[in-house]
Amino acid sequence: MAFPRLTEALRAFSNVTKQDDYSEELADLTKKRSILHEQLLSSGLTWKKIVQFVDENLDSKEHQSINGDLKIILQAAKQIVGSENGQETIESGAVFLFKLFHLKEYVGHDETKAIKQMFGPFPSSSATAACNATCRIASHFTEEQLTELIQMAEEQNGDNRLFFGKSIVFSFDMYDLDHFEELPINGETDKQTTISLDY
Amino acid sequence: MPTLPLDELQLTEKDPKMGKLRTLPALHPERKAERAFVLYKPPPKAGDPALVEEFLERAKFIANDLDWLLALPHDKFWCQVIFDETLQKCLNSYLCHAPRKFDALVDLPLEVNDLQKYLHRSVFLTFLRMSTHKESKDHFIAPSAFGEILYNYYLFDIPKILDLCVLFGKGNSPLLRKMIENIFTQQSSYFSDLNETVPTILQVFNNILHACGLQVEGASSEPQKLEERVKETPSDMPLQELKDIVLYLCDTCTTLWAFLDVFPLACQTFQKHDFCYRLASFYELMIAELESAIKRRRYEDEGLLADLWRRLSHSRKKMVETFHILINQLCLQPILESSSDNIQLFIEEFLQIFTSVLQERRFLRDYDELFPVVDDVSLLQQASSTLDETRTTYILHGVESAWEGVDRRKASVTGSPPPI
Repeated sequence: MAFPRLTEALRAFSNVTKQDDYSEELADLTKKRSILHEQLLSSGLTWKKIVQFVDENLDSKEHQSINGDLKIILQAAKQIVGSENGQETIESGAVFLFKLFHLKEYVGHDETKAIKQMFGPFPSSSATAACNATCRIASHFTEEQLTELIQMAEEQNGDNRLFFGKSIVFSFDMYDLDHFEELPINGETDKQTTISLDY
Repeated sequence: MPTLPLDELQLTEKDPKMGKLRTLPALHPERKAERAFVLYKPPPKAGDPALVEEFLERAKFIANDLDWLLALPHDKFWCQVIFDETLQKCLNSYLCHAPRKFDALVDLPLEVNDLQKYLHRSVFLTFLRMSTHKESKDHFIAPSAFGEILYNYYLFDIPKILDLCVLFGKGNSPLLRKMIENIFTQQSSYFSDLNETVPTILQVFNNILHACGLQVEGASSEPQKLEERVKETPSDMPLQELKDIVLYLCDTCTTLWAFLDVFPLACQTFQKHDFCYRLASFYELMIAELESAIKRRRYEDEGLLADLWRRLSHSRKKMVETFHILINQLCLQPILESSSDNIQLFIEEFLQIFTSVLQERRFLRDYDELFPVVDDVSLLQQASSTLDETRTTYILHGVESAWEGVDRRKASVTGSPPPI
C-alpha cells in the first residue's frame, strides 16, 4: 500500500502541476524490452565483425573448430530468440550471447536474468551451449583482445562519455524520525505535565 | 566569437531518416532519442521473489537510462529532458514513490538496497543538472529562457520541489538550497505557484481534522443529516484509519519542515495566508486528540501504537520547528540584520503573530519549551528602545498563563519506546 503523502494531495488538488495520465504506462516494461531489442539490432558490434575478428586473428588450422563453435552460438541464438525470427535478429541474438559470455565460464544467475530480460523464457541448454562455445573461442584470445573488440562497438554507440556529476559528493543521509523521550502512554496519568519537547 | 546560449543555437546534422544534412534549433523535439524510460516502483515490502525481480528489472532500466542521460552532451541532455515525456514521468514517479527513511521500512535484500541507493544518487544528479543553467563556459542557457523552460515544461513544480527537499535535504542541503534558489530566482512564477499551493496545504490540515471528526474552521454548522454516518473520532475509529491519519500527519509535517528548512525564503509566501496562526490552531486541535486516542487504545496492537506515538511526537516537534523557522525568517533574522529604521515592521509582525496564537495554550507551552518566548522578547527589547512594553508583557503573561497548572519539566532524553 502506498504511504499517504502531502505531495500526493498537492498533485491531485492543486493546479500547479501537470496532470499526467499514467494509464498507458502499465505496459512500459514490454515497450522498454522491445526498444532495447531494436537497439541491439542496430548495435555497433555485428556477427560479421565477430567472424571477421576471429578470421583475422587465428591461423587457418584453428578455423575448423572455431567455425563449429560459431555455428553452435548461432544455433543457440536461434533457439533462444525463436526460429520464426529472421537471420538478422538471430545474428543480433548471437552477438548478445557472445558479449554476455566472452569473459564467463558458466551461466550464472545474472546471465540467466539478462537473457530472460532480453528474450523472455528460453531453454537453459541453449544458454549453456552458447556459453561453452564462447568460452572455447575466447580461449584463443587474450582478455585485452576481447575487451578491445567489445569496447570498439560500445564507443561507436557513444557510451563512454563523461558522466555529469561524477565528482559531486553525494550524501545518502535522509530525514528519519527524531528521537523522542519517554512519554506517558501507560494511562497512569492523563495530565500533559510530563510531556516535553526537550529532545 | 562568443558562444551562443543553447536556446539560440542552430545545429546542422545528418537527418537519421533521410540521410541529408539539415539545420535545426539545438532544442528541437526531433533531436530527442527514443529511449522509453519506465516508471519507478518502490522496493516490495514482502520478500516475494517475483516482486523483487520486477523491482530489480525496472530499477536497472532506470539506472542505465539515467547513466546514459547524464553522459549526454549538454544539448542532447536538454532535448531529452524537455521533449521526452517518459523521462519526466519516470522522475516524477521516483519523487512520489521513493521510500522516505521515516516510512515504516523493512530490511531489503542487499542487491535491492544497493540498486535503490544507486538510483537515489542518479535521480539527484539528474535534477541537479536540470537546475543548472550554466554547465560550463561554452555550455549554457540564457537565464530568462532557462526559467521559461523549467516552468513551461513542468520540469519542476511545487510538489516536486517539496519531494526533493524531503528526499535529499538531510545530506545534501547546501547543494539543494542552491538548486532551489536558482529555480525561484530564474522563474518568479514559482512564487506565484507556491502562493496558490498554500491554501491546498491548509486544506490538507482541514481534511485531517475532518477525518478525526474535529470542527474545521469555516465548516458548515448545519446539523448532521440522519442518513449521514456518525463521525468517528480517533478514539473509536478502526486502528488502520488512525494509523493512516498519523502517517499522513507525519509525512505532511516532515515535508513542510524540510522545505522551509532548505528554502526559508518561502516563509513570506506562507505567512501571506496567516500560516503561523493556522499551524498553531491545527496543532492545538489535533495533537491532544491523537495523543488521547493512542493512550485510550492501550489494549490494542502494542507495537503499532508505540510506533504511532513515536510518529506523533516527531510530528509535534516538526510543527513547532516549522513555526520557529517562520518566526526566525519573518521577524528575528530581519531584526538582527536591519537598521533601526526598518525594525518596527518586523517587531510588529512578531507581536501580531504571538498575539494571534495566545489562545492555543498547548501549542504555546510546547513551543516555549523548545524555543523560550522570553528570549525572543528580550531580543526585541535590545533591538528597539521604543518597544511597546504593554504588548510584550501581554504576550509573556499569555505564555505564563498557558503553563498554569502544568509543571515545567525538562525531561531527560531517552531513546526507548514509550511503555505500554
